[in-house]
Amino acid sequence: MSGAAEIVLERVTCVFNGVTAVEALSLEVARGETVALVGRTGAGKSTAINVILGSLAPTSGRVRVAGYDPYREFRKLRGKLAISFQTDRLLPWRTALENVALGLQIGGVHGAPARERAREWLARVKMSGAEDKYPHELSGGMRQRVSLARTLAVDPGIVLLDESFSQLDQVTSAELRRDFRQLVRELGKTCLFITHRIEDAVEMADRVLVLAPPAHVVLDVRPGDHPDPRVLVDRIATAMLADHLSSRQE
Amino acid sequence: MVSSPSAEIRQRSDALAGLVVIVAIVAAIQVASFFVPAYIMPAPLVILAALWHELTHDTLDVVATLLRLFGAVLASLVVGTALGILMLTATWLRPYLRALLVVDTGIPALSWMIIAVFWFRNPEQRIFFILFLILLPFYAINVYDGLQALPKELVEMVESFRPTRLQAFRYLWLPHLIPYVILTTKSVIGYATRMVIFAELIGAALGIGAKMAVAESAFKMDDILAWTVLLVILNVVLQALIGLVERRLLHWRGEVAVR
Repeated sequence: MSGAAEIVLERVTCVFNGVTAVEALSLEVARGETVALVGRTGAGKSTAINVILGSLAPTSGRVRVAGYDPYREFRKLRGKLAISFQTDRLLPWRTALENVALGLQIGGVHGAPARERAREWLARVKMSGAEDKYPHELSGGMRQRVSLARTLAVDPGIVLLDESFSQLDQVTSAELRRDFRQLVRELGKTCLFITHRIEDAVEMADRVLVLAPPAHVVLDVRPGDHPDPRVLVDRIATAMLADHLSSRQE
Repeated sequence: MVSSPSAEIRQRSDALAGLVVIVAIVAAIQVASFFVPAYIMPAPLVILAALWHELTHDTLDVVATLLRLFGAVLASLVVGTALGILMLTATWLRPYLRALLVVDTGIPALSWMIIAVFWFRNPEQRIFFILFLILLPFYAINVYDGLQALPKELVEMVESFRPTRLQAFRYLWLPHLIPYVILTTKSVIGYATRMVIFAELIGAALGIGAKMAVAESAFKMDDILAWTVLLVILNVVLQALIGLVERRLLHWRGEVAVR
């Protein structure tokens, strides 16, 4: 990890129709770091990710991603930032190979070079042989692998994951998490991911941030500093539960 | 793509049903021709002879009708698709365009035909005008509906790669629209064929409709029925051609099996 911050949120607030989804959220993700955002439903995790992606403008505060404002300088982040969603979101009219090549084509890589790179990425996510299959011919796990290949094929410095493994069965999800973690480490990507499963966060992340509504950090921990992951899982769960109880009392 | 056994069985039974219907109609015509004069119902063989004559001597009329049909369908497809896209992108213009299309769909085809006779001297312009205005709303409305049906998740996914507007159109909107455009063409082609014949009947000297008008004034029922048979065949061929294009362009769709 170089230490330079790739993602910076400074007192970011998002208000929609009078409802505050994110309030004065500040966080930093260093280059090459993998950070997990956990928190109960409505904690503002997805809003935070959308702000970082540039699809939402914050009501106030400052956001910098790879040195750019992701909303105002939207196109400047092309190829530098990519996201994998909760569902695979594959284009049904494209084969697996063509789906992986989508981001490359948007980035200006066409024809044989795009196909070659897409093929390489399919191999990396263990999907060799499925190049010509259409999404409806693939299982959920296979589709999610293709989706991950599509995200990583553009070689983004920053990768966002929005509960990308949550809709898969436990075995497929664990396998994909392990493969993804390995790829991210290998390639030195900066990664910010949302998950509901505390165990996934502790297993995959260098840092775990626990968010409480309206999206403020209530706990910032490093799994590497805790020899027993079960203790850390309990600590995170306790923080989430405390937040939940205090909100009910309010 | 290899079709499934159930699809093959269905295709075979459809073909057989079609054949049974045709044989039944021919038999009914034959029986009727025994009891009524030829100007009411000629025998199938007489109709067949007239059809052969038309195919060998009136080819230009058939070609003219087909060209008019293709020209008008293509123009409506292009302009209708553009209007559908405009309705989605130019929100301020949408209510006006929609109102215009509602008014257009409310005007009977016959009114357009009479108006065209008054407005245009050239028969080609008349026929194009009639067909274009009749078909345009189908494409515009279906394309607009199709664009609205585009899943938000796919839009967000493509947007996450930060495309230009042109790239988003090329990689997302256009391929998504193809099924809607094909479906519209499939739905309107039979209607469009009937309309081009009507238009030719009223305002042209060349074309199947014009020939039918001549046959009608000469009490040539065999010619009228022969042209009718040809129109049915043309419609079947056109539907088959569209089906071919559909299979080629939409081969990515999985076959849905219904129990």
